[in-house]
Amino acid sequence: MRTAVKVAVQGRVQGVGFRPFVFQLADKYYLNGTVQNNMDGVKIHLEGEPAAIQLFLADLKNKAPRLSKINEIVVNGTESENAEDFTIIASERSGTSMLVIPIDSAVCEDCLNEMNDPKDFRYQYPFINCTQCGPRYTIIEELPYDRPYTSMKEFPMCEDCRREYEDPTNRRHHAQPIACPKCGPKLRLLGSHGEEIDSENPLIETIKLLKEGNIIAIKGLGGYHLCCDARNERAVVELRRRKKRPLRPLAVMAASISAVVQLAEVDNAESELLRSSEAPIVVLKKSCKYELAPSVAPNMGTIGVMLPYTPHHHLLLADPELPCLVMTSANPSGLPIVFKDDEATRYLEGIADYFLMHNREILHPVDDSVVQLNDGKVDFFRRSRGYVPDPFTTTSDVTGIVAFGGQQKTTFTIGRNEQIFVGPHIGDLENIETIDHYQHELMHLLTWIDIPKETAVIDTHPYYQVQRLVKEYNFLEVIEVQHHHAHMAACMDEHQLSGQAYGIILDGTGYGLDGKIWGFEIFYGDAVGFERMAHLHYTPLPGSEKCIREPWRNAAAMLIALHGEEGLDLAKAIFTDKSLEINILKMMIERNLNTVYAGTCGRLFDAVSAICGVTTVASYDGEAAIQLAELANEQLIYQPYPFNLEDTNGFTIDFSKMIKEISMDVLASKDIPTISGRFHETIVQAIVAVMVRLEKKKPMANKNVVLSGGSFHNRYLRKRIRAELLQRDFNVYVPENVPCNDGGLSYGQLVVAAAKRSANKCVLEYQQK
Amino acid sequence: MEKYISLAHGDGGELSHRLIKDVFIESFGDGDSALFDAASVDIPVGRIAVTTDSFVIKPIFFPGGSIGKLAVAGTINDLAVSGAKPVYLTCGFVIEEGFPILDLKKIVHDMANEAKKTGVSIIAGDTKVVERGSADGVYINTTGIGIYELNKGCSLEFEEGDAILVSGTIGDHGVAVLGARGELGITVPINSDCASLNRMLAEVLEHTNGVRIMRDPTRGGLATTLVEIAEDFQVTMKINELDLPVREEVHGVCDLLGFDPLYLANEGKAIIIVAQQEKEKVLDILREYPEGKDAVVIGSIVGKEKGHLLLETPLGSKRLLTRLSGTMFPRIC
Ligand SMILES: [Fe+3]
Ligand SMILES: [Mg+2]
Ligand SMILES: [Zn+2]
Ligand SMILES: [Zn+2]
Repeated sequence: MRTAVKVAVQGRVQGVGFRPFVFQLADKYYLNGTVQNNMDGVKIHLEGEPAAIQLFLADLKNKAPRLSKINEIVVNGTESENAEDFTIIASERSGTSMLVIPIDSAVCEDCLNEMNDPKDFRYQYPFINCTQCGPRYTIIEELPYDRPYTSMKEFPMCEDCRREYEDPTNRRHHAQPIACPKCGPKLRLLGSHGEEIDSENPLIETIKLLKEGNIIAIKGLGGYHLCCDARNERAVVELRRRKKRPLRPLAVMAASISAVVQLAEVDNAESELLRSSEAPIVVLKKSCKYELAPSVAPNMGTIGVMLPYTPHHHLLLADPELPCLVMTSANPSGLPIVFKDDEATRYLEGIADYFLMHNREILHPVDDSVVQLNDGKVDFFRRSRGYVPDPFTTTSDVTGIVAFGGQQKTTFTIGRNEQIFVGPHIGDLENIETIDHYQHELMHLLTWIDIPKETAVIDTHPYYQVQRLVKEYNFLEVIEVQHHHAHMAACMDEHQLSGQAYGIILDGTGYGLDGKIWGFEIFYGDAVGFERMAHLHYTPLPGSEKCIREPWRNAAAMLIALHGEEGLDLAKAIFTDKSLEINILKMMIERNLNTVYAGTCGRLFDAVSAICGVTTVASYDGEAAIQLAELANEQLIYQPYPFNLEDTNGFTIDFSKMIKEISMDVLASKDIPTISGRFHETIVQAIVAVMVRLEKKKPMANKNVVLSGGSFHNRYLRKRIRAELLQRDFNVYVPENVPCNDGGLSYGQLVVAAAKRSANKCVLEYQQK
Repeated sequence: MEKYISLAHGDGGELSHRLIKDVFIESFGDGDSALFDAASVDIPVGRIAVTTDSFVIKPIFFPGGSIGKLAVAGTINDLAVSGAKPVYLTCGFVIEEGFPILDLKKIVHDMANEAKKTGVSIIAGDTKVVERGSADGVYINTTGIGIYELNKGCSLEFEEGDAILVSGTIGDHGVAVLGARGELGITVPINSDCASLNRMLAEVLEHTNGVRIMRDPTRGGLATTLVEIAEDFQVTMKINELDLPVREEVHGVCDLLGFDPLYLANEGKAIIIVAQQEKEKVLDILREYPEGKDAVVIGSIVGKEKGHLLLETPLGSKRLLTRLSGTMFPRIC
């Protein structure tokens, strides 16, 4: 008996070799019918023996290709069409949109083996790829994902490629970016002014130039990198000078895991992350064998490492004398990553000695993703290439909500049905170039995701760029979400926490509901609302942002505000060459001149870092805190400094005693790493003390706690706070899929908006009854 | 005569009469119209320009000027940038009980001086005295009347490539006032730029073509004024950080206090946007005047689709500038 069924598969099923997989399954079980991509996913029509269909469906679920991710399979009986064979039919550009946007992934083992096989016709071909690897999101013009709608449309397939592409049994069947040396993209080498450099093999020439100490802009998957030999100190110093990036650590690309092991300590989970198809930069502890140029990551105990993820990266790093390259995003300071060829030669003139380009156009730039393993969990510094825009699944309908994010490390997030799409890392919305980049990517994703523009969500900060930007889009409503509430809601949603929870948010700066700068908060609440249970005592920032760029100012202001004349003397004793300025800071505080008040973890770290002489003037965001954190050893537990809790309307945490003792310790030339460690532990103990008191005050409260905010990248704080709370029977959750920093803000904003929307609906329904 | 203003100076009686006579008429002259009721004056047929502005400033005397000079120059400049020739002013005083009469005389003297220098008559006035604590020293309101003499003005139509000029260094007034308030704890040798620009701007209008707009970047500074133009006329402007004329001392003070000279007040500067080919001519005229000797081109109109003000930084990026908005809360995380 023959029956017919139609099967709808939703999830990440396009651009991942799903149709050839289906074809082969049909072949295996002697089934006839069709398979087709449409806007909803993959549509299969099957005819044959019911038992064979059951086997087919089991395999469909269990043996799907490595890049696919199935969310749902719906099977329904249907009319037989008397199909005589099984065919793959052309994509259908209709249907409602559950369409998944395919993501880029690192070159796979099979392709690498072919690339290294002298007998293969793609031997040494730098753009080899298949259905399981290669470019996707970065080359898409329009959906559904099909070669004519990608930047591969410029490359008509040769006969050999076409044969593979059309052969349903081939692993390159419908691999949209399929290419070979005959028909596909090619590399070329250019000089510093964009002039063509004649060479037999641009790759071999590039390797030679890198070895000679040149700085080369290399076009990769999501944009250009600036590269040099990571062991050549002179080259690294020169790269820093030209890029005007004096101290911020640079990432490196190491040829293989065995090359990584030479530099850093790598455990299994880290190795897995490095070798994953997302291939992020993983921040690792430098090992004792570490021997890169000192300027790659000065004063850091860690190093950001990634493995080659495109075929041409593998070829570049094939030379045993060049096992490690500095690979930093090629962007002039503050601008988005360079990805267009003409921009590369223009913007990078005077920075790059040579350009290694290719002619496959990048349509959507993405920066490398950056993660670390923190207290055993994945901790995203930046979620971009390889992950974006793969959606998260939530439990409520979030259609029509677009969250615009914050000001720095910005991302936007779009909701469709029960899916949450977090966009690529954009950067700081300070320059028009970055703002244009933001709007360009937002426009594309909005078109692809195709939702009604109902609710826009922004941060409450009155001077964030998104406040202005949102007005360019006509949403039915605009909701503002407090910065740290968004941080909290993001983590709660990630873990599907229901009911209320505590949110311990340690952060840089966020605009508070009282017009002060917040960032050291203990909340209790949910996505709809929160109560502020505790926060850090406010201290002045005379000169506002100036205090953030020059943490010594913040430190001096803190001393003056907390300890009056004595603090003034301490400040002058610590910052001996700043007497004049310190007097002026005092005056500014007294007269409230250009002074804002802040109680944030990031600013507290800045101040202590400056008092310790670690970083008094920052050359990049977060430098003072990062450098101070590097000195604390999370394998130890330090002796805390004293602190006070004031129980007014909620707890106020007062670190004035600690600030004074740290200053005295510094003046007494005590060991700075120990001071740093003790400072870290003081924060831990203050939070624990608050939580213990809150438990007594609110015995019926939920025991779920989420930890978020940028300061939770700090390994000591995360590990110790989590451990102490677990010991007291709290359930502790940390962000694992989106950054705890402002890169995760838009996700949280969307969650808050969705919760408020459904709460409003409930109220409405209740009122109607 | 009394040394301090008392409430009786405002009651319309004998003391009021003496105050008007000794302080105001003494300086402004009694002319036919100076009866301090309603003045009647002649104006030529055509369009007139009217503007009004109230002046409250602390301190009342500052290096390079006083509230009196400011009250005249400020209103004259508002008329001048709109292309009118200032001819008449009226003034109203709100004076706090106890204010030194000698100071009031100095202020009125400054007003008279500035008016005389610029060829403007002060034709009507009013004085009110309020109880101690109800005002801070003295507030002045001036209303200015100007006439459109030339049959050409600002076109208010922009083209890509138009040059953006500023008539001199920015932020001087803001810093001078901060210094005079003693908020720096150090003395800064900087004078307010407070000055009337009417003659200079009239000559620019008269002898060049293609002036698109003129504005005086007072409160909110150069950036705020340019943002307003950009938004009002939907033009994108780019100014270059390295071309901004800023005195060393102003830079120094901004560095100490975390201020940005782009947002500091000016009281004797004009922004002129003019057709590219006319910019040298405008510069030549400006530079002949002491108030315009540091005039420079700081940028240009680069587009007409979005009303943006961009600041090209030495790093090569283009910062999007917004108007000044109260305290600048930090955005860096
Ligand atoms: Fe934040
Ligand atoms: Mg005015
Ligand atoms: Zn592959
Ligand atoms: Zn081919």
